[in-house]
Amino acid sequence: MQPADPPILDQAVLAELLASTGDDPEFVRELLETYLAETPQQLDAISAAIAADDAATLVRPAHTLKSSSATMGAMRLSALARELEMAGRSGALEAGLRRLAEDAATAWLGTADALHAWLSEHAA
Amino acid sequence: MSAQGRALVVDDSNVNRRLLVRRLESLGLTVEEAENGRLALDRLESGNGIDVVLLDVMMPELDGYETLAAMKADERLRHIPVLIVSGVEEQDSVVRCIELGATDYLTKPINPSILAARINASLAAKRLHDLEQESYERQAALNRTIQRQKEELSRFLSPQVAALVSSNEGEQLLAGHRREITVAFCDLRGFTSFAEKADPEELMTLLNEYHRMMGEAIMAHEGTLEHFAGDGVMVFFNDPLPQDNHVERAVRMALQMRDRFAELADEWRHRGYELGFGVGIAVGYATLGRIGFEGRHDYGAIGNVTILASRLSSQARAGQILLAHRVIALLDGRAELESVGQLTLKGLSQPVDAWNVLAMPAAEVAELVPDGA
Repeated sequence: MQPADPPILDQAVLAELLASTGDDPEFVRELLETYLAETPQQLDAISAAIAADDAATLVRPAHTLKSSSATMGAMRLSALARELEMAGRSGALEAGLRRLAEDAATAWLGTADALHAWLSEHAA
Repeated sequence: MSAQGRALVVDDSNVNRRLLVRRLESLGLTVEEAENGRLALDRLESGNGIDVVLLDVMMPELDGYETLAAMKADERLRHIPVLIVSGVEEQDSVVRCIELGATDYLTKPINPSILAARINASLAAKRLHDLEQESYERQAALNRTIQRQKEELSRFLSPQVAALVSSNEGEQLLAGHRREITVAFCDLRGFTSFAEKADPEELMTLLNEYHRMMGEAIMAHEGTLEHFAGDGVMVFFNDPLPQDNHVERAVRMALQMRDRFAELADEWRHRGYELGFGVGIAVGYATLGRIGFEGRHDYGAIGNVTILASRLSSQARAGQILLAHRVIALLDGRAELESVGQLTLKGLSQPVDAWNVLAMPAAEVAELVPDGA
């Protein structure tokens, strides 16, 4: 991991989310749970597209993952998803792509841990 | 700041969709959700009520471009404002969406204040459109009603009366007024026995031909048809529109009717029916206006003049056009007449002098009679 890598979880994003939705931890909790539930589906879709050498199919789940991760403050996963999306758009499924997908899976594990930690801290 | 309206959020990411729904709800909107463009179109096509659509670009099934294009191609959906929700790196797709007809765009992560401003602008535009549409539809419905009423009126009333009813002075005239008019009463000799013998189809055929012929003559001379009653037809002149030569118009109309009827009578003679046409014409003051009861009114004339014309008509033999004394005076020698002497008419205490019209030279007043009859 390089020093310039974005953080696994940007706490400021979650704080801002909490503030801008009326300081309602219940809502943020619900949103985080939604994110925790749908992200593995997108990672699976990305892996399946790479396994099938199908660049075009990779773009949409990578795009959605980039966007939803940014919303939740999962900045490292968002950045990796962005790279995956761009690779998918370029149409070239190179060897580096598998590595990128593995990095995303690893980042996801760290993200999920950090989010669970946040949830426990903000438990009702 | 509170906004009234119903929004549809279209995004395949549950996280982004839920967050946007929450933000819109906190602005006061009622919010519905769709996971992709296909579901959004289904919702929009199922009926309206959506005031603004927030549309993600990249979605499965039907993406933002396709959804937008389909909305703009649909007469019922094209006026609904669409806000494109895009990432900061997607400026190209925003431009494409604006070109496709999107109202505006929002960049993720969504800034709540910008969201509120865009939503309010979109809802204001939608409300304005709805008001315009409502007003347009109300006006169109009103125009249709007026047009239908005019058509109905001209079917039941003579064209003059129909025009009068829809004019400004109409109400005043309908309320009742007094005026000198010329009245022509026409009916058929032999009609009662014909009606007894003929089968219903023959009877209706004859009446249709007869009424069509009468109608043409009435129109040509701009008479006001008061009523058709079986073979009886009452027409008056000089009301509701004043006519300088109303006496002459009535006589010329009767002559045209008599000539045309002669052809019809020939035809029916071949079928074994003897029918004759008689007319009575009188001139005098009558009270005119709306006669009848709520729901069924006629524009009618009441006065001795109508009674006199009617009685003369009953006395006329086949082919006669009987004129009352004052009609002769007003014709001023323009018609060729024969005296039929004094007639005793039902309901009138004194016998009256009457004349039959033989002919009337056409030249002087050719412009009166468009078809030259």
